[in-house]
Amino acid sequence: MINPDPGSFRDPSGRVFIQDGRVLRAIYEMGRDNFEAVQKVGVLDALIAKGLLVEAETAEPGLADNMEPKPAHLLSHPLIPFISYPYEWTFSQLKAAAVLHLELHLEALRANFTLCDATAYNVQFRGTEPVFIDHLSVVPYDEGEIWAGHRQFCMQFLNPLLLWAKRGVVPNSWYRGSVEGIAPEDLAAVLSWRDKLSFTVLAHVVTQAKAHNHALKTETKEKIVKVHKLPKRSLVAMLEGLKSYISGLQLPGGRSVWSDYAGDNSYNAEKRAEKHDFVAAMAGSVQPDMMFDIGCNSGDFTQTALDAGAKSVVAFDFDYGALERCYSRFSQSKQSVLPLWLDAANPSPSQGWANSERASLGDRGKIDAMVALAVIHHISIGRNVPLDMAVDWLIGLAPQGVIEFPNKDDVMVRKLLASRKDIFPDYTEEAFLQHVGSRAQIVEQKKLGEDGRLIVQYRRT
Amino acid sequence: MGISERHIAAFAVLTIFGAAPAFAYLDPATGSIIIQAVIGAVAGGLLYAKLFMHKVRTFFGRKTADGASENTES
Repeated sequence: MINPDPGSFRDPSGRVFIQDGRVLRAIYEMGRDNFEAVQKVGVLDALIAKGLLVEAETAEPGLADNMEPKPAHLLSHPLIPFISYPYEWTFSQLKAAAVLHLELHLEALRANFTLCDATAYNVQFRGTEPVFIDHLSVVPYDEGEIWAGHRQFCMQFLNPLLLWAKRGVVPNSWYRGSVEGIAPEDLAAVLSWRDKLSFTVLAHVVTQAKAHNHALKTETKEKIVKVHKLPKRSLVAMLEGLKSYISGLQLPGGRSVWSDYAGDNSYNAEKRAEKHDFVAAMAGSVQPDMMFDIGCNSGDFTQTALDAGAKSVVAFDFDYGALERCYSRFSQSKQSVLPLWLDAANPSPSQGWANSERASLGDRGKIDAMVALAVIHHISIGRNVPLDMAVDWLIGLAPQGVIEFPNKDDVMVRKLLASRKDIFPDYTEEAFLQHVGSRAQIVEQKKLGEDGRLIVQYRRT
Repeated sequence: MGISERHIAAFAVLTIFGAAPAFAYLDPATGSIIIQAVIGAVAGGLLYAKLFMHKVRTFFGRKTADGASENTES
């Protein structure tokens, strides 16, 4: 017997299992009627054909026999290459996910179906493309029914985007902490009166916050649920309005700290070319199905790895400006690259229900290779992580990879040490090589240019 | 612009049209339920106005290139 995915328990109509490189979705008796109604008119197939919903087919009948309880239906879906969460996305990714959600909802309504929830965790990225993953969220629509997922949509899509666009505050730490998003009551408290001068903000944030607080005081829910009715044309108008508004949201202007790093860092062209060759040699020999690029910047070395044979890359950076450029770059080239935000000193933890509903960064499947260029000094010197621990973490990410080590003569390291006491006597090339060597085989090592950075390729033994 | 409890009560009265319980596994929040009919109605009006203005603009802009005047966000 296989265990269900720990994040798929909220909706009792079905659960999801990962088996043999695919996703199995069990649909139980509770979800049977809705699912059969959806299947009958082919609405899922229509959403799949439009690229809004992940592909599905009926699983072999024998598979359901081993399951307890026995499902009424069993679907099979392709795996998403790497699961990510909204608190790891950039502004543009969250915006794309929100628009996808609204488009899918509108498309379902055209066929007289609706969505029974609006959780951002039901949107995943394949490369730069968002796709909806929960087939059981699509249910028959009853004329006049209210939008059950309205508050959830606001908390998980609209409000974080508003905080970002209107206040210039990155919502991800807040989002990661609350997991369920940002409540209208909280957002309303931090928006300025000018931010509130729009119908969308006034209606979905300010009024909702007031109504919510009012309702908490007055316990009239039973009555309210029974008497409220939302005509379909109003629901459609609300969704269209949100789609139009969210599509128009922009980040406040201004360059981020590292956005132009690749352009104006201390590197000359020759050293960069050598580094590209080194990364290409590793990616070419390993041919990773999934590779991590830690500290991707705008994705130059991700591109090199892809060109050399990496099939899919998750590209991490600490800088949102760099990630935006990376997302835009690979959205245009339509290559399989998923940019995600990462603080290497505090990666996403296992959290949610029973600390397992949302997986930690290190627990989301097999990573075949990784590159960490110009990263280790930020961890070791920037964040006071002893060098052996930094090497340990990096090598733990993937069995093979490339790590670059800028020594204390490097201008970027000097910058980090400029305003502080050098308490890092163990931050040396010799120590670095020893730490790598004791955890893995050093396949190749090289100095980039004269007195340049040390770069190594390792293979875990 | 402050929104008082009276406004909230007015929303509630305005939106009493009939019984349409929506029972999903997700509990729709009360605040959200109360305001949806009003937001929906206003959003409907805005959408109608937008489409109307689009038609007006297309009518008067017919002499110019067809595609150019259609580049409004929807």
